[in-house]
Amino acid sequence: MRISKRLIILFLLPASALYFWFFLVPTFSALGYSLYDWRGFGTNQSFVGLNNYVELFNDRLFWRSMSNSILILLLGGLIIFGLAFVMTMMITSGIKGRKLFRAIIFLPNVIAVIALTTLWGYLYTPKFGLLGAFFDAIGLDQLAEFPWLGPDTIFWAMLVAIVWIEVGFYLVLFLAGVDKIPEDFYEAARLDGASQFQMFRLITVPLLWDVITVGMVLWSIYAVKIFEFPFSFTGLEPNVNSYTVAVYMYILGFGQRQPIYRLGYATAVGVMLLLVVILVVMVLRRLMRREQLQY
Amino acid sequence: MLRTKGIVSLVVLLAMVVVALGSVAAQEEQIELVYWSMWNETEGQALVIQKWIAAFEAEHPNIKINAVWNGRQNQTLVRTALAGGTVIDIVDQDADQIAGGLMQEGFGLRLNDYLEMPALDEDVPLKDVFLPGTLDLFAMDGDIYLLPYIYNTVQFWYDKRVFREVGIEVPLTWEQFLANNDKLREAGYAPIAAEGNEPFYSTFYLANMVARIKGPGFLLQTAEDPTGEMWRDPVYLQTSEMLRLLWDRGDIPAVTLGYVWPQGQNTLAFGEAAQSLVGSWLPIELANMVDPGFEWGGFNFPAVEGGEGSVNDTQALLLAFMIIKDTQHPDEAAEFLRFIMTKENQQLMADESLVGVTRKGIEWAPAIADAQAAAMNAERIFPDVDGVYAKHAEYLNTILGVNYSELWQGKITPQEFVDKMATQSAEYWATH
Repeated sequence: MRISKRLIILFLLPASALYFWFFLVPTFSALGYSLYDWRGFGTNQSFVGLNNYVELFNDRLFWRSMSNSILILLLGGLIIFGLAFVMTMMITSGIKGRKLFRAIIFLPNVIAVIALTTLWGYLYTPKFGLLGAFFDAIGLDQLAEFPWLGPDTIFWAMLVAIVWIEVGFYLVLFLAGVDKIPEDFYEAARLDGASQFQMFRLITVPLLWDVITVGMVLWSIYAVKIFEFPFSFTGLEPNVNSYTVAVYMYILGFGQRQPIYRLGYATAVGVMLLLVVILVVMVLRRLMRREQLQY
Repeated sequence: MLRTKGIVSLVVLLAMVVVALGSVAAQEEQIELVYWSMWNETEGQALVIQKWIAAFEAEHPNIKINAVWNGRQNQTLVRTALAGGTVIDIVDQDADQIAGGLMQEGFGLRLNDYLEMPALDEDVPLKDVFLPGTLDLFAMDGDIYLLPYIYNTVQFWYDKRVFREVGIEVPLTWEQFLANNDKLREAGYAPIAAEGNEPFYSTFYLANMVARIKGPGFLLQTAEDPTGEMWRDPVYLQTSEMLRLLWDRGDIPAVTLGYVWPQGQNTLAFGEAAQSLVGSWLPIELANMVDPGFEWGGFNFPAVEGGEGSVNDTQALLLAFMIIKDTQHPDEAAEFLRFIMTKENQQLMADESLVGVTRKGIEWAPAIADAQAAAMNAERIFPDVDGVYAKHAEYLNTILGVNYSELWQGKITPQEFVDKMATQSAEYWATH
């Protein structure tokens, strides 16, 4: 049956209109706002051209935030995907309780972020927290009082928590992909005497490539604009040592406790964030491009 | 007879018309005030405000107050709503925040004339019922836009039983404070409970110390110096060294570095630490954690020998109402604010929310009696970070807060703090 072009356009129109109105218009408006000095109160704006972007390039906190975001993206991604691969390999090796393990590892994804930050905050509390109590119990007094949430380690403490939360999501994604791979491939490999690792490397990974690519794109977008966890991890206010670009943008534009309200400048940060996301996704898609395997 | 009947009918008809017209007129006079609140609907303060609204509406049947409970992001939401044309008549927020936001942007209604009106329950102008300094704290060129209704003081909070046990008195000078800390340490207490990673609280030390040495207002002046050279005034090196001394002596235990809010202040409730420099909301925050015998006391930041500031100068963190200047009903909105300042209403807030209030002659809750004493005896009051918070929030967040946190955490030396502040302040003001 041949569907007329008019009908296709008709069906596409509502979604396209919504996309245009709620995504494209705000995006291009944001580009415009980023050229103004504006606190967001009323219409009192003054055009400053590219000054916001010039200021951004000399803004220490912006670069500190960007560096944290990049570290979460690269290092966090490496650990998350590494762990997700290992767990996928283990869970698909035929062990009992596969569903239980999957559910347990995925569990953090269904818990509210604020509950998770509270949990991790208390876990890291020196002396009274879980880690403190553990080290205290085994007689490691110095470690029991170690300031995990101190300025030098707070970012790393946060990264560990993020990895713990996110690994479950990518594990489930990979497991769903593995379920689609015909069992015959593995049986043939076993008959040929392949080890578990060889089967994983030579069958699972190549046939899972598309899923891995999608996972990496999703992670990149999430990691570059990560907000909720860093925002609520460090008490009353986000800590500068764990600022991400999205957190910094929020602080500048919308305020937490401090009435900064530099909406024009914050929008410039947002535009940079969008550009970084686009760049990362483009690079990733290029790096991950492979010949498609049919099965 | 017929004529009489006709006249009676006419009178009745006229009366009905008059009543109907009156009813229409009364309906036309129905006024709705829209109040956007910084409280969540079930918080203690919100419950009191709901009672205020109900009582006010009962006294003014033609006025209805429609409250929107937004929580702490209120001002940000108000900003967006006003830009979208939403009608809002009254808002409230931390005074420092609203002074640096809506008020600074010219959205506030000037209240001076309303403050000259008599108070509802006392034969004095409304402005005279406020505790000293509270109305003027955020005045701009003599114009008042904020009506403060909750009063928090920043003081050292402690358990009086611990002081009795250790045999120490409330310190009036820095030397006495350090001597007390020695005794507290010897007795096994951490002298000071604090957070290592919370600039909102740790800057209380900076603001109070500078206020004691140079008087309130000097820190704000320094922050506003476009050359940054005022940071080289000896007071900042002295202040930095004195604050670092608290860490070096162990008055602030090293483990504090790993505490984020509220983990540090909790050590006061656990009986591990002895004093905490926080707002007078602390006794309420820790109410469910301290043992029933905990005897709350509070004392002002100690005086520094030779300093220009007094031990009675008090850091005040107020919460305030503001009327949006474009309101269609300024008189009715102002009437509501006059209404909430009666003794009865202020006492209700003090009793049921256990917070300090801004009206004179109200008895605050016993746990914060020392906060009330500080508020009444205050020679001068100063806002958060001496006004830097309200006037230069970005500077505070990106320059002062960052460098001060590094000093507080021992990542830079006092001299490095001074140098960085001088250099980075000059850079900041060159582009702002």
